[in-house]
Amino acid sequence: MSGEVRYAQDVRLEGQWHAALVRSPVPHGRVRAIDVSKLPPDCVALLPEDVAGLGRYGCQLKDQEVLADPARFAGDVVAALAASTPEAAREAARLVEVEFEELPAVFDPVTAVAEGAPLLHPEAGAVREGAGSAPAGAIVPADDAVSIGVRPLAGTNVCHRFRLLHGDADAGLADADVVVDETYRTASAQHAPMEPHATAARWTADGRLELFTGTQTPFNLRADLAGLLGVDEEHIRVVAPPMGGSFGAKTFTRLEAVVACLARKAGRPVKAVLDRAEEWVTLNRHPAVIRVRIGAARDGTLVAKRLDCWVDTGAYADCGPGVATKLGYAGAGPYRIPNVRVDALAIYTNLPPNGAFRGYGAMQSVWASERAMDLLAARLGMSPLELRRRNLLRDGDRFATGEVMHDVHFEECLQAAADAVDYERDPHGKGLSVLLKGMQTPSRAAIAVERTPVGYVVRCASCEMGQGVRDSVRLQAAALLGCEPGQIEVPDPDTNSAPFDTRTTSSRSTYMMGRALEEAVRDLQTNGGGRGYGEIANEGGLDPDTGQGIASTHWHQGAAAAEVSVDEETGLVTVEHLHAAVYAGRVVDRAGAELQNEGSMIMGLGTALLESVDHADGQITNANLSDYNVPAAGDLPRRLTHDLIERDDAEPHGLGETALPPVPAAIGNALASLGLELTELPMTAERVLEAVDAAAPAEVGVRG
Amino acid sequence: MADGRVDWLAPEALDEALALRAERGAEATVLAGGTFLGILMNERLLEPAALLSLGKVGGLEGIAVVDGELRLGAMTTHRAVERAPAVREGWPVLARAFSLVASPRVRNQATVGGVLADADYASDPPAVLEALGARVVLRSVRGEREVPVRELVVGHYETSIADDELLVEVRVPPCPARAVYRKFRSRSSEDRPCVGVAAVNGDRALRVVVGAVSDTPRELPEACALGVEAAAEIGHRYAGEIEPISDSRGSAAYRRRVIAVEVRRAVEALA
Amino acid sequence: MTLDLLLNGRPTALEAEPAETLLEVLRREAGLLSVRLTCGIGVCGACTVLLDGEPVSGCLLRAAQAAGREVTTLEGIPAEHPVRRAFAAEHAFQCGYCTPGMVLTSARLLEEIPDPSDEQIAEGLGGNLCRCGCYLKIRAAVRRAA
Repeated sequence: MSGEVRYAQDVRLEGQWHAALVRSPVPHGRVRAIDVSKLPPDCVALLPEDVAGLGRYGCQLKDQEVLADPARFAGDVVAALAASTPEAAREAARLVEVEFEELPAVFDPVTAVAEGAPLLHPEAGAVREGAGSAPAGAIVPADDAVSIGVRPLAGTNVCHRFRLLHGDADAGLADADVVVDETYRTASAQHAPMEPHATAARWTADGRLELFTGTQTPFNLRADLAGLLGVDEEHIRVVAPPMGGSFGAKTFTRLEAVVACLARKAGRPVKAVLDRAEEWVTLNRHPAVIRVRIGAARDGTLVAKRLDCWVDTGAYADCGPGVATKLGYAGAGPYRIPNVRVDALAIYTNLPPNGAFRGYGAMQSVWASERAMDLLAARLGMSPLELRRRNLLRDGDRFATGEVMHDVHFEECLQAAADAVDYERDPHGKGLSVLLKGMQTPSRAAIAVERTPVGYVVRCASCEMGQGVRDSVRLQAAALLGCEPGQIEVPDPDTNSAPFDTRTTSSRSTYMMGRALEEAVRDLQTNGGGRGYGEIANEGGLDPDTGQGIASTHWHQGAAAAEVSVDEETGLVTVEHLHAAVYAGRVVDRAGAELQNEGSMIMGLGTALLESVDHADGQITNANLSDYNVPAAGDLPRRLTHDLIERDDAEPHGLGETALPPVPAAIGNALASLGLELTELPMTAERVLEAVDAAAPAEVGVRG
Repeated sequence: MADGRVDWLAPEALDEALALRAERGAEATVLAGGTFLGILMNERLLEPAALLSLGKVGGLEGIAVVDGELRLGAMTTHRAVERAPAVREGWPVLARAFSLVASPRVRNQATVGGVLADADYASDPPAVLEALGARVVLRSVRGEREVPVRELVVGHYETSIADDELLVEVRVPPCPARAVYRKFRSRSSEDRPCVGVAAVNGDRALRVVVGAVSDTPRELPEACALGVEAAAEIGHRYAGEIEPISDSRGSAAYRRRVIAVEVRRAVEALA
Repeated sequence: MTLDLLLNGRPTALEAEPAETLLEVLRREAGLLSVRLTCGIGVCGACTVLLDGEPVSGCLLRAAQAAGREVTTLEGIPAEHPVRRAFAAEHAFQCGYCTPGMVLTSARLLEEIPDPSDEQIAEGLGGNLCRCGCYLKIRAAVRRAA
């Protein structure tokens, strides 16, 4: 158990040196000169001229250079050092002097799309996917982006625009009896995996690159690096040891590009392990501003919804286009609404890049949409539970994307959540929230099974980050093969031996890999029992200009309920009870499923009450785990409970994120039931106290 | 983290430590438990050429009651204070304040002398020690002096300890029956205080000390003179006169609101 | 300097710079990889070791401060120890990174309070962060081991 796990940070390659990164202190600036004259002889510096011939990388838009020039955020990497010890490398990095010519910067997504805002990537948007050969210097979409259809707007900071058009939202709002129009905000958050980012790189004598790195995306990483370095994908090997947590932080290309280049220049293996503070300038969660307009008929039937979203992706697109897309369609919500219009912009700002984060866009739009639902219920004079029930999607209904919903369980989830807090008896101090979240679509998963003298070895690229995918694969394989779980060996994902898998994200592995495994076992059993191979693909995708198509072949469905009390003199919120009910299908690994639910809820609690990456003039002001609080044991609600809504004959269902996104809105709605209207996350004591001040005196009383 | 190369001075006797202190002065940073210094060094905010470690010095650890006064050796850990029967019985408010610092793990390492000599504003014990009228014993090769805790912390992470002095002991007068410490955390249960209020109603007078809101703990004798019945008014006066800092645990404006509430609640608890 | 200490029950001499953290020395010189760096400021507990039987932060303690003392890491706790068995039985971990610190802290907590309440467990383990959010199952494990 645990003590023996070897993470990427524990990798030790023969003769390895250690990396330290030279980062920009300015949020936007041209690199004028780099002075390395003070460096001692026993170190290697990676400088702009060393990477001048390389291309760019990025999982959805190739907008990132190995060494940045200009630096586009305070913390952008402009040079790198390798030396024999981590301390020597850091010391050397401190001796490098970089002269910058500062450029105007912008730190807010709404300001960043205003006329005259400084542009981070002036060359973005010049080329669209499929537009043929790109002019030199243009930013081109990555292959992976095909499923998203990246739509940069030329001459702006918008790296992607996603629209969903279903019916006529404006006409619908005009016709509605009651309309709510409110703007909501969510903060940036830091994944704060216990293990920091760690990568070790080694070049072989014949020019092949080997990477040992904490990653959820070994194949995406391999493809991205192959493009950047101009080598064949087969010449790059990515091995992914278990991660000490990730939550989206260790996706796509993080340290790997710079470490690989440094190792090549140093002529020896190089390893990098980030300092804790560097995590805050490596990847955070997208903050968003979301304006919701939603209208209903007097009887509570939803008529129309408009969502305008400004999604701050930081200095590089990363997967911001994908987040804006998922945030956009998830914002339509799990409801039948005849007229929906979503306009979601992924926007560059001079802040550290934002990327995948457990909940992937859904949390942001669930916060906005589900808070607006309670406001609408109040205007209608209707119970928030009743308003939701009346409009929830059911089997066979058409979602705003045009796809027909199947295996729908929203109502059961909502009812279970409401019952857990006895909502129908007394809704005072209580709040509800429902979530719909898609799974990566399209995607492909493959797995190989091989008989060994003692059992079977199962090779796949599903990466272990604590979510228990290895146990899940082992248990499913043992059940299918009729042996003990202990007889199943699941090695670390290795792109040289594991078959292709899209990536370990969006709570897709139990479902996708589980089905691929069934195929593989069938293959093994019909072909002599020695080897088997299985592959599963789910097809689909949305048109980025209309939001029509197949958003997801498999829907994550859940609801949350919260009961709170408030110290109205200080604004402190006590969560008396937090409950999540999620659709689980057939449960493969009960302990693992429970851990995913509990962990998601606790992370959601942090998002709701504690977590915000703060910045001033482009500098992060709370880049440590004392100024940035994550939930501790003592922060748990007085009661934390959950339901796994199961069907023995159903397919297994991914559960990694479902219980996170509905939590903040459930707590926000519980506060709203006390007359405290919060529109911005996190709901700090200070903000709650402002809401107390803003509440009409008649509404103020004993709360909770 | 730093490479750890320093001149490591680890005397085993107090005389030896004082001699080294006199000789090396500010150039050798005094190391007690190391929880605060450890952070500064890890974050490279401090890169001392020499460390004068008190860990091996005999006689600096211990808890005793002498003539009704509590004596805490400078190297006594927070954990030892909170667990000691003598403190729990005679100075329960002090045991409680020490028990609220960080985590058990940090309290196993952090010392009584260290928490005062660091003059860290966001800490619990200084406000309580000040409210109880505690004094520290500062010793040097020149001799010994006693300084009230109130005069020890003089500014932002600044004390009145001279470069050749060591804080060797803390002396706490008998604890009045009515004494409370309220630690207000605005965020996590593991957070440092946003506002800390120590209130003591002794034979002579009410004392209220507010910590974690400015460079030094703050006490307003005129407000306290109103007496415990004027709890709300005392709260207002503290809120009005203190210029609170803004940090990740709360803005100045928010802290003002909380000072008024928490001072009132602390004083009410004494009535 | 040479750091002499009683490490996991054995007299051990390790090469160290005096003001390095004990964490760095234990990982580099003794290969004890269950001692892990996360926050570097003593708030998370991933680097917990027992110093003369009491939990301390390996990231804050200077190596020389451990001279002549007894240091215990997870490697010094037998797999059949009731706390380790309880953590396994209750599935009280996800990524496992914080688990060594949790186990060491829990073991000491149970020595002091053999039958802790939920509040005592939350307070005792409060300084050990688990970003995966396994706190409920960790609490169950401590109860099981009680």
